[in-house]
Amino acid sequence: MTIDRRRLVVLGAAGAVTALHPSLLRLTAGAGGGSSASGDELPAREASWYKKLEEGRVECELCPQACKVADLERGMCGVRENRGGTYYTLVHSLACSIHTDPIEKKPLFHVLPGEKAFSFSTAGCNIECKFCQNWEISQFRPEQVQAYNLPPEKLVAAARRNRARLTAATYGEPVVFWEYVRDVAIAANAVGVKPTVVSNGFIKEKALREVVPLLSAIKVDLKSFRDEFYRKQLRGELEPVMKSLEVIKEIGVWLEIVVLLIPTLNDSAAEVRDLCAWVRAKLGPDVPVHFTRFHPTYRLTDLPPTPVGSLERAWKIGRNAGLNYVYLGNVPGHPGENTTCPGCGEILIRRVGYRILSNRLVNGTCPDCKRKIPGVWS
Amino acid sequence: MTRRELALIFGAGALAGTAQGRMWSRSVQPGVVGLAEARAALGKPLGPETARLAMAGALAASVGAESGVEAAAAMFSPKDIVGIKVNCLAGKFLSPRVELVEALVDLLAEAGVDRRRIIVFERSNRELQRAGFTIREAGPPYRCIGTNNDYDREPSISGAIGSCFARMVSTTCSALVSFGVVKDHDLSGVSAGMKNWYGVIHNPNKYHDNGCDPYIADVARYPYIRNKLRLTVLDGVIAQCHGGPAYRPGATFDLGMVAASTDPVAADLWAWREIESERAKRGLPTLEAAGRPVRFLATAAKQGLGVDDPEKLLLVTA
Repeated sequence: MTIDRRRLVVLGAAGAVTALHPSLLRLTAGAGGGSSASGDELPAREASWYKKLEEGRVECELCPQACKVADLERGMCGVRENRGGTYYTLVHSLACSIHTDPIEKKPLFHVLPGEKAFSFSTAGCNIECKFCQNWEISQFRPEQVQAYNLPPEKLVAAARRNRARLTAATYGEPVVFWEYVRDVAIAANAVGVKPTVVSNGFIKEKALREVVPLLSAIKVDLKSFRDEFYRKQLRGELEPVMKSLEVIKEIGVWLEIVVLLIPTLNDSAAEVRDLCAWVRAKLGPDVPVHFTRFHPTYRLTDLPPTPVGSLERAWKIGRNAGLNYVYLGNVPGHPGENTTCPGCGEILIRRVGYRILSNRLVNGTCPDCKRKIPGVWS
Repeated sequence: MTRRELALIFGAGALAGTAQGRMWSRSVQPGVVGLAEARAALGKPLGPETARLAMAGALAASVGAESGVEAAAAMFSPKDIVGIKVNCLAGKFLSPRVELVEALVDLLAEAGVDRRRIIVFERSNRELQRAGFTIREAGPPYRCIGTNNDYDREPSISGAIGSCFARMVSTTCSALVSFGVVKDHDLSGVSAGMKNWYGVIHNPNKYHDNGCDPYIADVARYPYIRNKLRLTVLDGVIAQCHGGPAYRPGATFDLGMVAASTDPVAADLWAWREIESERAKRGLPTLEAAGRPVRFLATAAKQGLGVDDPEKLLLVTA
């Protein structure tokens, strides 16, 4: 079997083993003959968030890019197209990446530790991070990647077959397949599977409010605490992401935040301090913040990986700011991966990479000091 | 200005020895756009002779050559693999006419380029077919295929863009032609020859803000395009002054021209002028007043891709 790298990434976003994983093969066969979509034959469903403008143009109301799109053109995401004055999503039920991951990979450290999340993505993204780790799906259009017809009910059925207690819309950017996220969440909730999302949070409030209540948890990448970074490095804006975080917190769905620290670009002590102070003030001390390590990729290949010392400094700043749950990511074996009780200081969940070595929580409570640890534990 | 007057300006010997492709050399004429008349009603084909005359005339006028074949020989070598990128997004009514493209193919062949080394291409087979082209994987009389998502595996960085280029331009072809149309674009203002290159990158949707500026110039100045682009041809038999890039009934007009230029910026400048002229006739606001100023040409000129100064635009009729 020969396979090029892009197809490999598309199949699993996790390497060759994934591409040949029996569960994936079963899924493909079990998805009603999972047809491969290509070219102009993409299925299309009318989008849920847009308005019609004059002369057949439309304005997308899903994300803050607010693309105004002429007939036959697509929005910045590349997955929504104006066809004769009606705006369509081209990726509903069109999964290009599917895999069963540990929930720790998302990372959602306070959500059913050690459980599996049936993870899926479509092509496309509404921003363009120069450091995107999944650019081979997020920065491509749906006809440019191998994808399979996987309607929500079949996706959830596949999750159950794979003994996954969670689904996770991840890898690419779920905002661009928000209708699919919504419908998967509805299908998952109907059978007791917990739907989760990993997102950049760059979404308009109305669309966010309509879907987040259906979720069990959401992880948001707060890519920097400087608007200039958002504009220069990923062609987005900071303020809408901050607003999203506040809305999610207000709705009450479990929230965790990841900050990818990139040397010289967003890792200054001042910026990390500002970020942590804002999280503490606006979201509260119990929202976990993960500082993760950057590795050169995509368009940002001239910077080194983040020094572990920078991550440790960020960890200290977070704790000093009063955040109860600060983690380090992409440094397997580092103590910063563990969950420690803010009451007594004892380690509650010990991790190495995505593996759980021990979990001492009892009904979401510290067995030593009986402090309740926030999260989704059952 | 006529073609003969242009030849006098360039010098009689400028093209000597290049006929039949035996001594190919690049022959860029900054600011010069060759024009030839060609009229047909919307949706009606040009006759083969008319298409041939128009294509040959515009080509010859663009470089002051005696004939279209001589002009083609001045621009292309028999060793070239020539890729002709057609812009078929708008379907049959507003895509390059098959008969004009085939007239260019004939001229290239007569100039010594093997027909098997001439490839007419667009993003997908489907787009080509919708515009009236027949898919020909291997020819004859020429190859005609979609790039069909065959992109480089790594992105290339050029200014503000980071894109995987179609292997058709990065690897397969040694010489390129942009074969566009003359039409309004709701974001960039004009879509003619330069915007056509958005069809060879994997992520054009990322680069439509700010009037597609500086992105159009950034795509065109990447070496895959800049070093290989020999010619821009614009099918202006039917043009569109409003409602683009899709075909918009009622917004098209009979421009009745075919344009050719070795200067991609000048070619688009001419297209822009024609669109503005028609908009003025119809009482439509200028593109700038309509909220889509044509910014990308100034950027392209600054990057050294061609001439955007109307004072230096030299229109040469066949």
